[in-house]
Amino acid sequence: MRASVFEIKRFAVHDGDGIRTTVFLKGCPLKCVWCHNPEGISAKPMLAYFAHKCIGCGECVNSCLQNAHKMGENGHIFKRESCIGCGACEDACLGEALTLYGKETTVEELLPKLLEDKEFYESSGGGVTLSGGECLLHADFCAALLRALKENGVRTAVDTCGFVSREAFDKVIPYTDVFLYDIKAIDPAVHKRCTGVENGLILDNLRYLDSLGKKIEIRIPYVPGYNDGEIGKIADLVKTLSSVTGVRVLKYHNYARSKYEALGMENTLPEALPTDAQMAAAEALFGDLIRK
Amino acid sequence: MQYIRPQDEEYIMKKYYDRDSFQGLVHRRNRFVRNDALFSPETGKSGEEIYALIEKTDAENADLPHAIRKSLAFEIVLKNTRLRVDPRDPFPAICMIDRPLDKTVIAKWRREVFEEILPETGKKRAHFEARGIATMWPDYDHSVPVWERIFSLGFAGLLSESERIRREKERSAEEDAFFESVRITYEALLMLVRRLCALAEKTEGCEKMAKALKNLSTSAPDSFYEALLISYIYFMVSEHIQGLQVRSLSNFDRLYLPFYEKDLARGVSEAQIRTDLAYFLLQFTAIGNYWNQPVYLGGEKADGTTEYSEMSYLFLDVYDKMGIYNPKIQIKVAESTPAPFLDKCLDMIRRGHNCIVFVCDATMRRALMRRGATEEEARLCHVTGCYEYSVQGSFGSGMNYVNLLKPLEYTLHEGKDGVTGEFCGKRSPALSAYESFDTFYTEYKRNLLYVIDNVIETVNAYEAYHEYVNPQPMLSATFPSCLEKGRDAMKGGALENGTQMNFGFLADIADSLAMIKKYVYDKKEISLDALVRMLDEDFEGNEKTRLRLLRDPDKYGNNRDLPDFFAKDIADFCTQNVSGRKNTEVRGGIWSCGFHVARMSYTQAPMTASSPNGRRKGEELSKNASASMGQSRSGATAAILSVTKMDASSFCGDACLDFALHPTAVQGEDGLAAMRGLLLTFMRRGGHAIHMNVFSADTLREAQKDPEKYRDLQIRVCGWNVLFNNITKEEQDGFIRQAEALV
Repeated sequence: MRASVFEIKRFAVHDGDGIRTTVFLKGCPLKCVWCHNPEGISAKPMLAYFAHKCIGCGECVNSCLQNAHKMGENGHIFKRESCIGCGACEDACLGEALTLYGKETTVEELLPKLLEDKEFYESSGGGVTLSGGECLLHADFCAALLRALKENGVRTAVDTCGFVSREAFDKVIPYTDVFLYDIKAIDPAVHKRCTGVENGLILDNLRYLDSLGKKIEIRIPYVPGYNDGEIGKIADLVKTLSSVTGVRVLKYHNYARSKYEALGMENTLPEALPTDAQMAAAEALFGDLIRK
Repeated sequence: MQYIRPQDEEYIMKKYYDRDSFQGLVHRRNRFVRNDALFSPETGKSGEEIYALIEKTDAENADLPHAIRKSLAFEIVLKNTRLRVDPRDPFPAICMIDRPLDKTVIAKWRREVFEEILPETGKKRAHFEARGIATMWPDYDHSVPVWERIFSLGFAGLLSESERIRREKERSAEEDAFFESVRITYEALLMLVRRLCALAEKTEGCEKMAKALKNLSTSAPDSFYEALLISYIYFMVSEHIQGLQVRSLSNFDRLYLPFYEKDLARGVSEAQIRTDLAYFLLQFTAIGNYWNQPVYLGGEKADGTTEYSEMSYLFLDVYDKMGIYNPKIQIKVAESTPAPFLDKCLDMIRRGHNCIVFVCDATMRRALMRRGATEEEARLCHVTGCYEYSVQGSFGSGMNYVNLLKPLEYTLHEGKDGVTGEFCGKRSPALSAYESFDTFYTEYKRNLLYVIDNVIETVNAYEAYHEYVNPQPMLSATFPSCLEKGRDAMKGGALENGTQMNFGFLADIADSLAMIKKYVYDKKEISLDALVRMLDEDFEGNEKTRLRLLRDPDKYGNNRDLPDFFAKDIADFCTQNVSGRKNTEVRGGIWSCGFHVARMSYTQAPMTASSPNGRRKGEELSKNASASMGQSRSGATAAILSVTKMDASSFCGDACLDFALHPTAVQGEDGLAAMRGLLLTFMRRGGHAIHMNVFSADTLREAQKDPEKYRDLQIRVCGWNVLFNNITKEEQDGFIRQAEALV
């Protein structure tokens, strides 16, 4: 069984308790306008070309069997349409300007990497978090990986947008200690405007998890101009749930700009950033549940 | 500044030298603090007069032992140097005339040793330093008095105890000279205290100081303030007159807690204690030694319970609120260290107090017990420098820095230096003889051993004259073993008399060996001949190969087997060939290994050829036990896993991991928990010292562009802390590259 991973982040400190390693799996059913991991949206591998890091060494040209790279008069030219995402150029690139997002991986390959920091998980109350994209699009893979982690005594978290089938949740529930559950909006129209989909399934799955007594941390990206009006409604929803152990309001940032450019994707990032006062007001709605 | 009145701050900050006319990191003036203009001529003789008097008196006493001659010179200074007390400052001013004994008798005897008695040793030392092979300095900079005895006996009590022991039995001439040197030294100290007291009694607004000095002129300190005062006087006199650095202001919480409790019981307010402490700390900020004045907190009591107390919190809180970075603080950590205390330290670090380093008790304890200390002695060990440590009452030297890359140059050039082409003294075979990596690596180790043996021979030769050059009655009187043996601490009187050899650029050598093994012997992509040509030409015309080597992920500090094997293997090799070897018979101690580099990563770099890890000639070398520049690419956890593969307790010396953390990684409760997790894991895996710098590349770049705006941005440079503005552009760029590599 294989799944496509686009990043493994060690010493992740904001994806659940303690020091964690976060595995990002590719593919997402949502298209949030503010997405800061655009490389995770498509299920296919994608090559990012960070032009500012290119030193013009030309090693990519020699390594590419598809002729996707060319050295022109003004330097490097990347023909994205020819790229099949094999990753040969990433290894060859001397400027570290090329990154392949999306590598097929097995549980057996991943596990030793995730266990490297086990002592840090233990001393900090941390563990491994599966994220994405939407990791539960690979529910069987996630279940196998989470199970292996549990067998090795590692605490687990699943970071999800919730827009997956009930069955997907059922597969991972036995091996997941905490769900980091993203809620962007309550109003279905607002949700659709922000993410491209409505949120009925998301809210249903949330209530389902809650009814099972699974530990849930709610995560709310705060994006001015998009979901300002929704934070209060989310607070009202949280009051009706009994398994929520924490709420985190995530301050929207636009650091992902260069990634959109490097991936040749249209940049949909909103301009406005939340102010500290807006953040404080949003967090105040959740009282003691707030985690920072 | 909190606790300090503005007019007082202005006075104290200019008490030691005119800060407005000088800004910089390394400057002799900064070491030889001097501000003659502060003092009234009525209070004593000028520096010139004192120097003349020392020369004259010493010439008259040329047949006496050095210990006595030095004490007589010391007496002249303390009797005559100008003094000042000022109502703006609860600590007196003693005119420091450029370390007068360093410049007169000590300089004379040192010259004799290196030019007349041991000329070959002197030449070899200079040669090794000029070529960047090894830097060896006679070390009078890494000892700590037994503060507890100064506090419990006072100067007067130390004197009477020494005299009592002196009379207990028949003494040889040498022993008697030692006790006589203690007598003259401590009589002189008491005279200085009386002179200061007389001045304070005459000065309006200095009544508290006068009363305290009066007590100290006959007795041990009786209050928190008196303990600070005696500590201050001891420090100033030892460091700036006696010619011996005081490498720690003590285990502050342990030693000051009883005074604090006593004062509170007497009705002294906590606010007053905080204020006195703040004025004390400000003295060290004002002195501004570039290496920072160390002071340490916590650890464990002899019975294994924690030493942390309300005194520890109070100290840290005052320090925090003052916003200073000198003195620097070492935190001794053990399983028993209270979590809230660690959190307070970690929180300070993430707010920019990069002046805090953690040293792990258990590792130091194991190391010291391997060296023969009892468990109790090991628990109460001092931190004696940046991270160095030793049992109390010991005198260790250790400013010996070996460049691990030089033996590689010899291996690749038939025994010749890769920069100068000079023959090193031991021949290596031609490149064609290295049929396998093992033969190559074995020859590297032979060359390393050749350097080690040379360093040991050189240092042992001149350390036999340690006491000849710079006898230390002031320190020795605080060491019970010196009084028992009737012998100076420089001459084997101390409880432990070790010498440390520090090996620099562990990451660069590990990475270089990994690249040779991988590209020359395993993948066979580059021949050894071609590699050596590239190195000789500083990779000119071979930039692609250089980048390939530089970008290769098999670099120490990333928890990768290949480079980490070499780091551990080299550390083991150094330990096996250095630790436990005897130093000079006169001192009767043993050698140990350490892996800190001080500023050698900058100073030895220009003399170090290009290296197979892609580093160009002259570029900054790796620091301490940390990854080489820009190569800590897998984050803090991997860096910790790599460094703790080595057994830090086996070297018996220090090994510090420095790494940078991005501010966003340490924010909030999660950030604090993560920092705590890093520290605890490092400690549990047997690490020794860990230092976290929290900064982002953006902030550093901004600070470089707009230094005015970032006047207080602190950076830890190899064990000491500096303002970012005060380091060179080249060093700043190094920190920026380090921050850019943060993941």
